[in-house]
Amino acid sequence: MAATRSSEFGDLVQIKKQLISITAQCKERGLVHSVKWASELAFSLDPLPLNEIPPAPELTEEDARDLDALCLAKSYFDLKEYDRAAYFLRGCRSQKAYFLYMYSRYLSGEKKKDDETVDSLGPLEKGQVRNEALRELRVELSKKHSAGELDGFALYLYGVVLRKLDLLKEAVEIFVAATHALPLHWGSWLELCNLITNIEMLKSLSLPECWVRDFFMAHMFTELQMIKEALQKYQSLMEAGFAKSTYIISQIAVAYHNIRDIDQALYLFNELREQDPFRIENMDTFSNLLYVRSMKPELSYLAHNLVEIDKYRVETCCVIGNYYSLRSQHEKAALYFQRALKLNPRCLGAWTLMGHEYMEMKNTSAAIQAYRHAIEVNKRDYRAWYGLGQTYEILKMPFYSLYYYRKAHQLRPNDSRMLVALGECYEKLSQQVEAKKCYWRAYSVGDVERMALLKLAKLHEQLNEFDDAAQCYIIYIQDIFSCGEQLEHAEVSTALRYLGQYYFKNKLYDEASLCAQRCCDYNDVSSSSAAHSQLRDANLSPFGKILILNPKQVM
Amino acid sequence: MASVHESLYFNPMMTNGVVHANIFGIKDWVTPYKIAVLALLHEMSTTKPMALLDRRRLNKLILPLQQGPDLTLEQFLKIVEECCLRMVNAVKHRYASSLNKELFFKKNFILKIPEPLISFSLFLGLFMRQMLLAYNKLSFSQVYKLYKSLQQYCHRVQPELSALPTEDMELTSNEDPSAEHIDKDELDTASLHQSELRSEGTSQGPLSQKQAEYFLARQAYLLKNDENKAMSPAKLQDELNNILKFNPDFAEAHYLSYLNSIRVQDIYISTHSLLHYFDRLILSGGEGKSNGDEGYGRSLRYAVLNLATLHCRFGHYQQADLALQEAIRIAQEANDHVCLQHCLSWLYTLEQMKGSDSVVLTEDSVKIAAHFCLPYLASLGIQSLVQQGAKQGMPANKLLDALRGTDIMHWKQSLSELIEISLAQTTSIWRMYGKSTMARQQAQLLLNMNSLEPVNFSVQQNNTEAFAVALCHLAELHAEQGLYAVVSDIMKHLKQQFPPHTQHAKLWMLCDLKIQFEKAMNDGKYHLAEPHVTAISALNSTEGLYRKAQLLKALNQTTEASQILQQLQQQCEKSKDIEMTIRVMLASAELHWDSSGFATALPLLLQALALSRQHNLQSLTSETLLHLAFTQLMLGIPEQALVLVQDVLESVLAHGSLIDKGRALLLAARCQMALAGAAVQEHRLTAVHTLDEAAVYFSQLDCKERMRDIHYLQARLHHTLGNISQRNKCSMLFRLLDQELPSSGMTVVSHL
Repeated sequence: MAATRSSEFGDLVQIKKQLISITAQCKERGLVHSVKWASELAFSLDPLPLNEIPPAPELTEEDARDLDALCLAKSYFDLKEYDRAAYFLRGCRSQKAYFLYMYSRYLSGEKKKDDETVDSLGPLEKGQVRNEALRELRVELSKKHSAGELDGFALYLYGVVLRKLDLLKEAVEIFVAATHALPLHWGSWLELCNLITNIEMLKSLSLPECWVRDFFMAHMFTELQMIKEALQKYQSLMEAGFAKSTYIISQIAVAYHNIRDIDQALYLFNELREQDPFRIENMDTFSNLLYVRSMKPELSYLAHNLVEIDKYRVETCCVIGNYYSLRSQHEKAALYFQRALKLNPRCLGAWTLMGHEYMEMKNTSAAIQAYRHAIEVNKRDYRAWYGLGQTYEILKMPFYSLYYYRKAHQLRPNDSRMLVALGECYEKLSQQVEAKKCYWRAYSVGDVERMALLKLAKLHEQLNEFDDAAQCYIIYIQDIFSCGEQLEHAEVSTALRYLGQYYFKNKLYDEASLCAQRCCDYNDVSSSSAAHSQLRDANLSPFGKILILNPKQVM
Repeated sequence: MASVHESLYFNPMMTNGVVHANIFGIKDWVTPYKIAVLALLHEMSTTKPMALLDRRRLNKLILPLQQGPDLTLEQFLKIVEECCLRMVNAVKHRYASSLNKELFFKKNFILKIPEPLISFSLFLGLFMRQMLLAYNKLSFSQVYKLYKSLQQYCHRVQPELSALPTEDMELTSNEDPSAEHIDKDELDTASLHQSELRSEGTSQGPLSQKQAEYFLARQAYLLKNDENKAMSPAKLQDELNNILKFNPDFAEAHYLSYLNSIRVQDIYISTHSLLHYFDRLILSGGEGKSNGDEGYGRSLRYAVLNLATLHCRFGHYQQADLALQEAIRIAQEANDHVCLQHCLSWLYTLEQMKGSDSVVLTEDSVKIAAHFCLPYLASLGIQSLVQQGAKQGMPANKLLDALRGTDIMHWKQSLSELIEISLAQTTSIWRMYGKSTMARQQAQLLLNMNSLEPVNFSVQQNNTEAFAVALCHLAELHAEQGLYAVVSDIMKHLKQQFPPHTQHAKLWMLCDLKIQFEKAMNDGKYHLAEPHVTAISALNSTEGLYRKAQLLKALNQTTEASQILQQLQQQCEKSKDIEMTIRVMLASAELHWDSSGFATALPLLLQALALSRQHNLQSLTSETLLHLAFTQLMLGIPEQALVLVQDVLESVLAHGSLIDKGRALLLAARCQMALAGAAVQEHRLTAVHTLDEAAVYFSQLDCKERMRDIHYLQARLHHTLGNISQRNKCSMLFRLLDQELPSSGMTVVSHL
């Protein structure tokens, strides 16, 4: 399978030619985002010699007849006078003109819808404002569709219309047909991506065999949080010759961000900024990473840079918000997140981040509202659920927050943070059995914060299950030392002290003294002094039997 | 690429990250439908001569029209037509003329309020002024939009209106040549994708805030008071989703959705809706009238408390306990005594549900509630105490005194809910003491009482647990008297009033099963009783076990029966269920009889007698005494037995069920017969009379087995008395019945 793929990619020249021609086609139809994607990809490939550059497609009779109208309409279209463009295209017969005609009618409807939102008749009607043109468009397109007269672009438009009308099942069918008709058009793939909700659905679709499909699958895996598969796909794409593509680099960086491999992600983002210094997309993710690592100067630099490029972008606002948040100026941070939301109310990340800011400001009610909005925009936003859980935990309502943590856990079953949070809640409710289960599970799915085992050990300690506690501490210490870098874990000394005492109690003096010695390396006063005294006892004990006979004195 | 002009999409309602649903305080706005209502009002006030009846009907129509959801013009006209035929054309005409473009923009005449109208009703005047205000606030483009929607609204209905000879209509149709074309297309699509479009069509447009509030209030009221009249769960959920789609900030809709999903026992949606509601409420509490921080914290406490009740409702006692503890902790921190009090009352309820003793908790709750002047919680606590006291054998006078004391307070404070509970409780207590007449009287009192609650939406509250309990008691009481037709009527009513999925349905289900079981047992149709046992066990395991033992005993499987009875005895001792303990003792005694261990049955029966006397359980006392008398008869001391029977006979005849009466009389007759062996003739004669009386009761119940016994005894008596013809008649009757019934193998003497 892999072999056939690589041979497909072997002909990079062919791919480049395809990209160039699709760029031209999309450009003629005003599909700007697809143009951007295709040309970004084309840019990453080696330039073609003059004789290889594909010629412009030949005009048909119909095209020639519509040429003038199309020219005029396109100019109006570019100036956002959609109704005017549609008016001059109404009699045209060619496919290209037909698409532009329908597309400008659609966009005109969308524009009017947005305008009307501002002055609707009443607050409740706000949600009801809709694109009036959609139904007419659907009727006309469905007629043409059943007659089989739609080309790839028109199919794409039909799909968009269906999606906007909430006819999702039909929309998926149409988008799949669109990808078959015109596999190179990234827009159809992207729309399809938004409609697929789980892996079973993805598997059930029959998609065309084309190199674009690999891009789509990689994107899809990222969306479905199947990061490992996504990274594999992107890796193979890079090996196949797209190594220079900024698109792929950014996608990989986002994927690393999702699995919290911060160093890799940071490295990639830095590389991305070197290659494409004026890029604004994905920079909010980058700033999140910088924030997590508390890299103040870098974040500040990024913020300055982005403001210079374009200060009225959602991403810019988010970056600035993160910047202020890192400087603990939470009011200002919230202000910038609000601005981001004004620019795009469906911007999910901003709602969640604003919730975090309100949490910092101890304004729990506003935080709850912000998180709730985030959930309304996207029910699958685990950070918002987690945030709600945290809010209620801060309000000292652990039982109440259980529900929210559980929701978050459902969405990210393999994320240890939710499990640890759940465990803490159970611990507060004195439900030790559940708490133990949560911690153990958190450890088994790969604990990022390395706290689960420690908590589990302490829980065992509380319940007087000494062997289990010691076992946990041992694994914990092995874990800490095996990962190489010495983190400033104050808890290591606690673990060592406990182990020392445990060995001592079980008369394993060599191990006990080893643990105590290791413990002395840490400058945590109380535990070191305890270790010192214990070390003394351990050294003494072979000679002084009284101590062993009467362990109470030792303890 | 889809959303152009996204920068224009800003939300003017949002300040400080908080979206205010309604910044201008407009709860209503002008819609084409509202204009139609206004047109109707206008016509009503201007047409002077009108039949009184018509006018009355129209006046009654106005309120639902104004508060209800927007209708289509067709529906609206139809409703008006039903009331007053003449009005329709006038309204239609006026409405059509509102379409006149010139007039619409210049004079806005339809909104001009004719003078008499304002004065004749405050409410309608307010409505019209609101409409006028809302209209005046519209910007030019909004007015244009309103005009367009008005046009569409008319077009959708009929060619009729457009056919009206007004020149402006021509103007509009000229103006919009594509309109018809679109209509045709829409028809096409309808045929193409009927289902989707239909679903789009049925969901009505957005409700204004006022309409939505009215809708929610009405449905919530109906859910509380008479669920059958409310919308079906699925439909209500659809409506709620619709409201929430248009206005996600409308928190009350979430609460109604919580209530609705509790109705269908859906824990997932109900939890979700409840939490969502409180998440939203916390906000509005923060900026509402109640001073900032206080209101916010308060809703947090009640959020957890509500969560606890939710888990309680679904029987998740551990979860409920945890939630309750949390609520108590927060309330303690905030020093909120009222909330703490609520928590405490839930705590003892929870303890009771878990089956543990909670008297101390309840007493504390009553004391504190009285201290903080919370009459509702206090008397709820007292009622709960009375219930527990009754079970544990508190003296009857104390219990009834306590109930009366609280009753006085209920009437003073008009706590109608508690009055109902109190009546139902008295019914149960009388029933438990075995005073069927008193019980019947109390139940009737409750059912015939006029509720103190205001009657809204023409629905009176009659679906509380109290009603269900009283009705069940009535059904059982009637069943005891053999009035099965009445019972089935009551059951039908209960089924209708408390559909099987509702909370209190289990009450009548159990009651129904018990009655059927008893009936089958009395008729000797044990194969019919068997499935009922399984069903009863599903609803109440103890009761199920007891019935199973009874059935096994009747089928002569004594070993199994005695095993089950022993098991039951242990259970009852643990749960301190006195009534059941006595019953189990009686049943064990009967088992002893079967093995002729009459002497061994005696201590059991005496123990049962002591217990039942101690707890004032009169019916059980007399039952026990009958058992004792029978044992004595069997042990050969009929004199003693007869004395005992005659002692109890009075109370049995007064309060007992038909079968008990029959059994007591039969026993008395047998005692008399036993005595007659030694003594004079007259004993035999009285015995014949007693048997006749008993026969009346048994024949009412159609209890053939016992009838057979009676005929046998009668025949014997007549034989000794020498009434040959009577004897022959009785023996013939006996023979007939004996052929009909399967021979039980049991001799006539061996059971009570």
